[in-house]
Amino acid sequence: MLVSFNYHNRNSLIEKIDPRARWIYSILILFAITLFWDIRFLLFFLALNLGQYYLARLTWKETRRAWGFIFFIMSMMVIVNTLITSAGTIREVMQGGHPIVAISIPIFGWSLDFTLTIERLWFALTQVVRILAISALFLVIPFTMDPRQYGATFRGLGLPDRLAYSLDLAFRFVPTLGRDFQLTLDAQRARGYEVEKLDGGLFAQIRKMAPLVVPVTMNAILSGEDITNAMDLRCFGLHRRTWIEQLKYRRLDYFVIGMGALLLVASIVLKILGDGDFWLPPALLS
Amino acid sequence: MTDPLPLLVENLTFRYQRRSEPAIQNISLTLQPGEILLLAGASGCGKTTLMRCLNGLAPRVYRGEISGKIEIFGSPVEKLSMSQLSQYVGTLLQDPERQIVGSYVLNEVAFGLENLGLPRDEILQRVDETLEYLGIAHLRERENFYISGGEKQKVALAGVLVMRPRILLLDEPLANLDPASAQEALQLFRRLADDGISILLVEHRVEDVLAARPDRVLYLEEGRQVYYGDPQGLMEVVDYRRVKLPAPIVLERARKDALTANLTIALPPPSDQPLVTFEQVSFRYRPELPDVLHDINFSIYPGDVIAVLGHNGAGKTTLVKHALGLLKPTQGSVYLEGQDTRQITVAQAAHTIGYVFQSPTQMLFAPTVAEELAFGPRNLQHSPAQIEQDVQWAIRSVHLEEELNTPPLALSFGQQKRVSIAAVLAMRSRILMLDEPTAGQDYWNYLAFMDAILQTPGFDAVLFITHDVDLAVIYANRVLLLYNGRLVADGAPQEVLRDEERLRQCRVLPTSLLRLNLEFFPHTRQFLRAEALAYFAASETNNRNQTQTNVFL
Repeated sequence: MLVSFNYHNRNSLIEKIDPRARWIYSILILFAITLFWDIRFLLFFLALNLGQYYLARLTWKETRRAWGFIFFIMSMMVIVNTLITSAGTIREVMQGGHPIVAISIPIFGWSLDFTLTIERLWFALTQVVRILAISALFLVIPFTMDPRQYGATFRGLGLPDRLAYSLDLAFRFVPTLGRDFQLTLDAQRARGYEVEKLDGGLFAQIRKMAPLVVPVTMNAILSGEDITNAMDLRCFGLHRRTWIEQLKYRRLDYFVIGMGALLLVASIVLKILGDGDFWLPPALLS
Repeated sequence: MTDPLPLLVENLTFRYQRRSEPAIQNISLTLQPGEILLLAGASGCGKTTLMRCLNGLAPRVYRGEISGKIEIFGSPVEKLSMSQLSQYVGTLLQDPERQIVGSYVLNEVAFGLENLGLPRDEILQRVDETLEYLGIAHLRERENFYISGGEKQKVALAGVLVMRPRILLLDEPLANLDPASAQEALQLFRRLADDGISILLVEHRVEDVLAARPDRVLYLEEGRQVYYGDPQGLMEVVDYRRVKLPAPIVLERARKDALTANLTIALPPPSDQPLVTFEQVSFRYRPELPDVLHDINFSIYPGDVIAVLGHNGAGKTTLVKHALGLLKPTQGSVYLEGQDTRQITVAQAAHTIGYVFQSPTQMLFAPTVAEELAFGPRNLQHSPAQIEQDVQWAIRSVHLEEELNTPPLALSFGQQKRVSIAAVLAMRSRILMLDEPTAGQDYWNYLAFMDAILQTPGFDAVLFITHDVDLAVIYANRVLLLYNGRLVADGAPQEVLRDEERLRQCRVLPTSLLRLNLEFFPHTRQFLRAEALAYFAASETNNRNQTQTNVFL
């Protein structure tokens, strides 16, 4: 059985907004954010999205684990992509710049040169702000959206019945995986398995994860089969579907969508006017 | 002309695409309106395949070769579309957890009607009627995840009944229920049949199902029809060692058979040095939630064979997880051989306690059964020679010797469960804890491995969680009764299980074997299985005859 995210009604302003309006707004803002590499604009969006987080009455305690996960992924991205390889950056950051330190590591005759520049460091910071802004925007959704409305929301956004219901299931798959993982971890710990004591090389370590990864994956596949059977037996996908959850736009919803659209349009205009590209505070170079 | 029968099956044979042998062969049966047909047989006998043929999953989803005839109200099943078929035939899968799709009760029950595209008002009206009919209207706005096992099953059933099927297929519907919930479910099935629905009930706990008063029984062995007739006749045909029959019938039949050897438990003699001690243990998952365990006090001593009984959600699993330190008490302490479980890791505790989780799919991962079994002992750093020896013993105990090189994931659910038990047995822990060891197991299989476990020296104590009261009767020398997180009784089986009223309050019901044992107790001084009681009954009659003869002399 699929488990839902831990939702409870907290009577917040955000929950009064129609979930469709919230998705539309979030996607518009996401587009706006992706236009910019200027930390000043990104800080504005971060503040805006943290405002939503606050209005949703979310607490640090509830979202702690999700943030932990985001920080982990973000650190990997920033360290590997931006600081070390510069693969995820823009041209002016990759080439040249003002060096802070230069390291040369000799490997079998040739050497690997790595130079940390002010540009790279600042770009990394900009990227952190960008990722945090996007995360804050979407993290609110699973905690404050009634799981009953997932399917009807996607349907209401114009997706076909089948896809809308699949997305509903996919959304609930995430917390289900979390629960299964915990169960398997407990079952293996009871057999003396210690995940803390993984050693050896990278591949040896991956192999030692098998007692956790295999049962969780197999369970996911098997329960997927169960769900499809259960749905087939109750005529899923044969007719146009009725959704008993009904959604209705109100004034507040139009306002929210309008605000999202306005911010995106304003962002596009600024971009066309030439603002918003990577910006390095001149003070840093002097 | 008479109305066509709800269900007519003639010479049905089905072979899965990738198998060489048919899963079922030449099955013929009929279902009358309002009839309950019990489909019984050991696991792997073809019960599930037959159901899949009837609800259309085979051959539509499970591909294979089908021959013979299936007619539903006179129409050949292959001519019906899936949506027509699912309005005639409703299927309740074995585990409600695997059937429930929606997140909340209302959404789950409405799911099928939503798919049929009925108007919203009609859906809501039919959902409310169905919830009312099943007596679960109060659950309408609840989240499925947080309701009890018995409630989940009713919700799953509501989701099927709301589509107004004329035939209901029930696949081992009692497997996850406490005795009282199982009893209620059976009465409900009878009521549905009396209201005109034809029911095909798959269940190997034959004794328990008799409460639903099935009209006929179809008994399968290895895909073939062995018996088809009234329930009374079945009692004489099947092997009572393979299928669980009512105790008085076993007693009667066993009298005529050779005596079965009695069980000798190989546990150490009782001592007062506790292995595990619970001291005023209370536990809650989150501060804002209510207690799952409340003020639990007891100790496990060497020589104990403990059965933990209680309703769905009474806190049985939570209790056992505390012994191993997987959960730490919110209040109070748990000591494992004198050490507070807060101060030791689970891996350290695993040296002393072997714990078999309820679901095998949560733990099986290795490429072969042999490696799966060696995983635990290797973690505990046993010597290779020792591991080899223990793996051999463990696999023999669960009768899966031939499967040592098979991937565990390729086995049936029942076999996987036994592999998971063997995997813990191979660790040679001194205390063994089993969570629902009989789930998905045939009667014969679980008796065999329970016998093997208890007859092998090496364990200091064994504890098992079960809904099967007879398992407690046969094996336990101590019973813990839990109710809503509280320990309401702790004592010898003959004391705890004697109090019928308290059992009922705890949603545990007395069985025919328990009653028989209580009757014989003055003579036996211990609880025995029905075959052994037959021996006692026989010797008693002999004694009586002898005394009479003496008098005549």
